[in-house]
Amino acid sequence: MAKVIFFLVASLLTTTYAVASGGEGGTANPFAGDVGNAIWTLVIFVLVLIVLGKFAWGPILSALQQREDFITDSLASAKKDRSEAEARLAEYTAKLDEARAEATKMVDEGRRDAEVLKRKIEEDAKAEADNILDRARREIGVATDTAIKELYDVSGKLAVDIASKIIRKELDAGQHSRLIAESIDELNASQKN
Amino acid sequence: MTFSILASSNPLEHVIQHPMTTLPVDLESKWGIVGWVLTPEAEITILSDQITMIAAAGILLTLLMPMLAGKRRGTDEIGRLVPTGFANFLETICQYLRKEVAQPALQEHTDRFIKYIWSVFFFVLTMNLLGLLPFPAISALFGTHIGGAATGNIYTTATLSLLTMLMMVINGFRLGGMHYVAHFCPGPLWLAPLLVPVEIIGLCAKIFALSVRLFANMMAGHILLAVLVGFILQAWGSMGATGGLIIAIPVVLASVAITMLELFVAFLQAYIFTFLTTLFIGMCVVFHHDDHGHEESHAAAH
Repeated sequence: MAKVIFFLVASLLTTTYAVASGGEGGTANPFAGDVGNAIWTLVIFVLVLIVLGKFAWGPILSALQQREDFITDSLASAKKDRSEAEARLAEYTAKLDEARAEATKMVDEGRRDAEVLKRKIEEDAKAEADNILDRARREIGVATDTAIKELYDVSGKLAVDIASKIIRKELDAGQHSRLIAESIDELNASQKN
Repeated sequence: MTFSILASSNPLEHVIQHPMTTLPVDLESKWGIVGWVLTPEAEITILSDQITMIAAAGILLTLLMPMLAGKRRGTDEIGRLVPTGFANFLETICQYLRKEVAQPALQEHTDRFIKYIWSVFFFVLTMNLLGLLPFPAISALFGTHIGGAATGNIYTTATLSLLTMLMMVINGFRLGGMHYVAHFCPGPLWLAPLLVPVEIIGLCAKIFALSVRLFANMMAGHILLAVLVGFILQAWGSMGATGGLIIAIPVVLASVAITMLELFVAFLQAYIFTFLTTLFIGMCVVFHHDDHGHEESHAAAH
């Protein structure tokens, strides 16, 4: 509806214009005009050039140039930051790997040390036990020997006493010793049997 | 009634300039052909419908552009670099002209000429667009004749083209130096008597074509619209007011379509005028581009 009204109004206006301006008639020259048009064009264009050059094109041009510079700088610095960050990341990754390797090494070392220590303690303990056993054995041997010797002495004396008492016969020192030795030998022989 | 006169009236009548104030000056008798070219009617137009449109374009541009250019997102360091609202539109056009049109032709001289190029584009564009507004139809209701396409006047387009020529020649000598002088004789030196006039004629032809291209395009569109409107007159003349109004409806439909086309042509011709101006200046100040680019710019110029 609005379009129809628009066309009707436009048609009426167009018709009015056509009728109102159509009456001039005469020959029309498409190149109508003269130097007056040229002067006006020149004056107005130069004014436009001066005014806009100062108040419109100047600010726009400087804004465009500044924005270009700004974008270029921003991109350049972004690129720089990125490469720096990448370098730093690589550095940290390397450091991390290094630390991890070191930690592994330390753990391994600790384990190895512990193993060595364990073995040493075991060996020490075993040696100590052997020592104690040896000493005990030796002491037992010594004690046995002493006891045997004492037994010999006591039994010798006892035998002499008993013999003197039995035969009531006084023996000289030489016979005495020989008798003792014979007694011991007999004892030994009997012991061996 | 005078409808028979109306019906036979020339559609050009609606398109050409309608002087309001003129100053009688007879330059023809003093300067011959030059005087005739400058004042063919033995008068200088002081004020006309088209001149008011030139002035309107100038006023619009000088008021609007600084306002639009200043629209920024903020006042801090970054906000000043970010346009907002209509400034985006303006900057997009400006940046396109700078990077896509001017830079390939002017290279390192781009920012030296860009203000001139922007001014030419927006001045021509504004005049083209103002020519599309129905000022003549509206002012006709009040018995005056204001409006029309200022670029549909060969004197206006020729002035802008001559400015392009001035830019070419002055900056050719200033920035191109010996390269520019040498380019008038592209062949061996003994051919100079032949080549130099040819090159000078070529320069004038370029400028002539530049002015006629814009003028003819704008003129043609408006003649087409005037012819369409003329159908109403003929219908009115032969079938009366009712017939005129009935014919007016398809005429308006067709006029709307043609006006759409004209809107496109207004932008296109402003762009072409600017593009060629830039190319021509570039050909006079840039001498180190390769042969391919040179051929391309020549091809585009024709």
